[in-house]
Amino acid sequence: MAKEVMDRKASDNEYLHKDFHISMNVGLEFVRENYGRDGVVEYLKTFSSHYYAPLTQGLKEQGLSVLRDYFQKIYEIEKADCKIEYSEDLMTVAIHECPALKHFKKMKVTPSSLYILTTLTVYETICEGTPFAFECLEYNCATGKSVLKFFRRDLL
Amino acid sequence: MISCTEFIPAYSELFKYLEEKGSKKKVMEFWEYISDEYLNDSLKKSVEEAGIRGCWNYWSHSLNEEAAAFTMTLDEDEGEFTITMHDCPSKRMLLNMSHMEPYHDYCGHCDVLYRRVLEPLGYEYIFDDSQTDNAKCNIKIRKIR
Repeated sequence: MAKEVMDRKASDNEYLHKDFHISMNVGLEFVRENYGRDGVVEYLKTFSSHYYAPLTQGLKEQGLSVLRDYFQKIYEIEKADCKIEYSEDLMTVAIHECPALKHFKKMKVTPSSLYILTTLTVYETICEGTPFAFECLEYNCATGKSVLKFFRRDLL
Repeated sequence: MISCTEFIPAYSELFKYLEEKGSKKKVMEFWEYISDEYLNDSLKKSVEEAGIRGCWNYWSHSLNEEAAAFTMTLDEDEGEFTITMHDCPSKRMLLNMSHMEPYHDYCGHCDVLYRRVLEPLGYEYIFDDSQTDNAKCNIKIRKIR
């Protein structure tokens, strides 16, 4: 049998490995089993404060437009719908179906009971120390259908 | 949602978190856990069904979706499969981040996860991690005769 060879450059493919959603889910389950809900919150807060630091900084310096651009980009990459209503003081993001939960369904993976924290804790942390706050108005744990609200704190 | 395109930094931060909470042993425990939870249904099943070609099938899918720069070879007569990773997209992403430090042994998971699946199936797993600081590595998997 002949030897088979596959050669690829990075530019040959689009970077979209949906199974990473499954790995994220496995990671959350490991932390939950070892350290409980508090551990999952602690891990996600730590990750978010480090990784999304440029977004947090952007919120302080440029406002909600930074977050609007972020959502548009991420949902476009994930090939999912996300409807954004934006003003300088208030933004709502309506997500028809979470791409991660859609992939779990396709792959017959049970979502972590704490998967919702990848929304709640992550966006709360991104907004911490900025003039903006986050509120989750709606979240369906089976589909990830959700409505997220970001607004200027002094409008509270 | 954390996008699948943001998973690698989340993974790296998880290793750091676990090491801070419970030492390197906890990180190793997690790598074994993810190997059992995730690879048993993918890589293991693929190799059980197709032998050494199962490695080719598994990595053809994942490395293309990860947009890696690589050369893969399959020699079924010799029972050998190799990956020469010219530029690992995960490690490259971490190296390019100016505002975050990657976990010090990030590439260590590639040694533990796959070895744990393949060795019990009768394969030798050789991981050359000497160039991971440049996002390069080599993996050789050989059927033990």
